[in-house]
Amino acid sequence: MSSQTATLSSDVSAQRGSPGFSWLALLVGLVGLGIAGMGFYQGLQEGNARPIVSWLIGFSFWFSMGIGMLFITMIWYVFGASWPIIIRRQLEHALSAFPWLALVFLPLLLVGWFYHENPGILWKWLNPDYVLPGGETVGDDVLYIKKAAFLNKDFFTIRVAFYFSFWCAWAFMLRRCSFQMERDGNACWDGRAHNISAIGIPLCALITTFAAFDFFMSLSYHWFSTMYGVWFFATSMRAGLAGTVIICYLLSTRGSLKGIYNQAHRYDLGSLCFTFTVFWAYITFCQYFLIYNANIPEETFWFNIRELGADWLKNSWWWIGLFGLIFGYFFIPFFYLLIYTNKINPKRLLAICIWILSFHIIDLYFNIVPAQKVADNTVGFTVREFSVTPWDIASLIGVGGICTWAFMRSMRKAAPIPIRDPRILGSIHHHE
Amino acid sequence: MANVNNKPFGLIASFKTAPDIYEAAKRVRDAGYKKWDVFTPFPVHGMDGAMGLKRSRVPRFTLIGGLTGFWTGVLITWYMNGYDYPLIVGGKPFWSFIFPFPVLYELTILFAAFGTFFGMFISNKLPEHHHPTFDHPAFNKASDDTFFILIQNEDPQYDAEKTRALLEEIGGEEVTLLEE
Repeated sequence: MSSQTATLSSDVSAQRGSPGFSWLALLVGLVGLGIAGMGFYQGLQEGNARPIVSWLIGFSFWFSMGIGMLFITMIWYVFGASWPIIIRRQLEHALSAFPWLALVFLPLLLVGWFYHENPGILWKWLNPDYVLPGGETVGDDVLYIKKAAFLNKDFFTIRVAFYFSFWCAWAFMLRRCSFQMERDGNACWDGRAHNISAIGIPLCALITTFAAFDFFMSLSYHWFSTMYGVWFFATSMRAGLAGTVIICYLLSTRGSLKGIYNQAHRYDLGSLCFTFTVFWAYITFCQYFLIYNANIPEETFWFNIRELGADWLKNSWWWIGLFGLIFGYFFIPFFYLLIYTNKINPKRLLAICIWILSFHIIDLYFNIVPAQKVADNTVGFTVREFSVTPWDIASLIGVGGICTWAFMRSMRKAAPIPIRDPRILGSIHHHE
Repeated sequence: MANVNNKPFGLIASFKTAPDIYEAAKRVRDAGYKKWDVFTPFPVHGMDGAMGLKRSRVPRFTLIGGLTGFWTGVLITWYMNGYDYPLIVGGKPFWSFIFPFPVLYELTILFAAFGTFFGMFISNKLPEHHHPTFDHPAFNKASDDTFFILIQNEDPQYDAEKTRALLEEIGGEEVTLLEE
């Protein structure tokens, strides 16, 4: 018995994220962000928005995964779910990335304040002198003037500060409840986390909705869709769940979850991945369907620039929408996850989660990249086509390195699973 | 109950506790029986594994139902809007996958539910209004405090003597022959 305990504790300390690897992650993160930052700087010098968009893509990918994980943690607490307790600890580690994500977002905000040549290089409405297709400036645009009470630099800054304060505070409080329970063994922390989550879910839903409006929808500020926040929630949940599966796979094959993370956990996570695959499709299709059916030009232009070029031929986004989103992001994961063995087999579940994350990036591209640029043709603009630039890859890897570093740093602060949670055995012995 | 003209249906044995029946079920499974069943007053966790049951085949009926529903939707909307009485509505095509999609997925869900419901009936061979266990005087206790194992006559391994001996060996009490 004592030798068993000794082996267990030595295993545990050996597997709690080696400092070497976490420093490597930080190095990768800094180098990646450094390269993306060079692109960012060059973009500002040349007035080219694409490298700034790259930075936003890199941020959004990891940020959406974090938002998904924050929601999942709160949902599990609110429902008093005992099966995912061993998984929840991994999400709590991931939530430690929020303050660093805020730091990654900061340059985008600072551009609006200090880049005087064109503060609207990313969000056009930050620059009243920005010339729109048709020759009008943002400042004279009635659609901007009507929205100016909301879309202005000061209020935007306040909102962003508020959003990140909320996400950081809730991540901090949820982590504290869980880690504190491990120290003093007091079960009341579970009740506190439950209350924090019950308050947090509606607040986070509202804040995430407005953040999606501000960060992504306002890139085309003429456009509006009330379902946009739900779209972002759905895609974030898919990213969060896929990230969870990947973390659990890595930790169960070569880390601290070996022998703990079992088939029933995979089955349930796989089923949740399936659920949100359907939910994402439902929301994304409904958004398209309502706009398609109403057929009002104020709304349809957003989809038109994602289908047609100025020459009325299909542009690159049409193919991205069809093969990337409809088939890649929906039909393939949908039919794949219908099959039971694909949910319980560790490698097969891992494969579809990597697939989902890849197409999640495509979904973000589809929402972020297309923009109208003034041009001398019949419609007065061209659409920024689909492209993957080195800056995109650098910022995706860079922000990822920072998040991985934050995750591994947090891993050293607590046991791999919440060992003093009163219901931990229910999670360890979870079965179908 | 004991009518000489009746065919034997199987042997039923009673058990007193959940662990008893759990262990007994494993022994029956390992002895290679296929046509047998366990009756308990409440769900016993892990019994599926102890009995060696495979996963339900109902999801296949669900999938077939869902696909049938989807293509039924495609067919009726295409027939009505694209073929029999084409109308231009809002400048949209007579028929595409987009505008009738709510119809398509509603029918997918409806037929998938039918598939699940009737698939369950078919795979359980329902409805079955009478079962030979109902003739067993002690069987009412299966909903109270007694656990039963029934091994059917139809099982290729079934042998009146050997099966009775197995049931007694694994701790079964009151081993009784049921008749159809």
